[in-house]
Amino acid sequence: MAENESEKIVIFATHGGEDPEKATLPFVVGNAALAMDVPVTVILQSAGVTLMKKGCYEHVFAAGFDPLKKLVDSFLELGGKILVCIPCIESRQITQEMLLDGAELGKAGSVVQEVLEAKAVLNY
Amino acid sequence: MTQVDLANVQAAKIVDARGSACPGPLLEAKKAIGTVPVGGVLEIWSNDPGTKKDIPLWAKKVGHEYIGFLAGDGYERIFVMRRK
Repeated sequence: MAENESEKIVIFATHGGEDPEKATLPFVVGNAALAMDVPVTVILQSAGVTLMKKGCYEHVFAAGFDPLKKLVDSFLELGGKILVCIPCIESRQITQEMLLDGAELGKAGSVVQEVLEAKAVLNY
Repeated sequence: MTQVDLANVQAAKIVDARGSACPGPLLEAKKAIGTVPVGGVLEIWSNDPGTKKDIPLWAKKVGHEYIGFLAGDGYERIFVMRRK
């Protein structure tokens, strides 16, 4: 287990560009956690999976925050993990090729594993 | 450290994070602290009022020492000493 792994947090993001603030906040908190050397996995489910779609994440802006693209790029650069729900992309006809590099795909088992490993879980 | 002492601190590096939205100043502090020698001081400028609360939390968590802040003209100067 990596250093600080026992402090890992998981953040669920379930909103896409239809709610820019709720789409952005998981990555605001995620970046803050990484700055504080806390490992983070953001799990995208429901409409949240659209945030990883190329051509979508570049266009999400919430008042008072940096653009989502800047936050997601920074999150990945700092070593944050993003897990995308496979059934949620399939139901939206989103293929893996349409997603950003760096996004990992997973089903319920991966989600359970991430939560069991986490010290705390946040839901947006 | 008193306000007078802080005013005399020679920062090894100044990060101008004015205009940067949360959590930008934290990220900029994280990037910059590595360029400061151990025992040296990083000074962060921010006009986000939350930054002076977040930087001490960040410093404590990652093992550095928050030494205080000074009010600037429309912004705050926040001082952190690199400890490791």
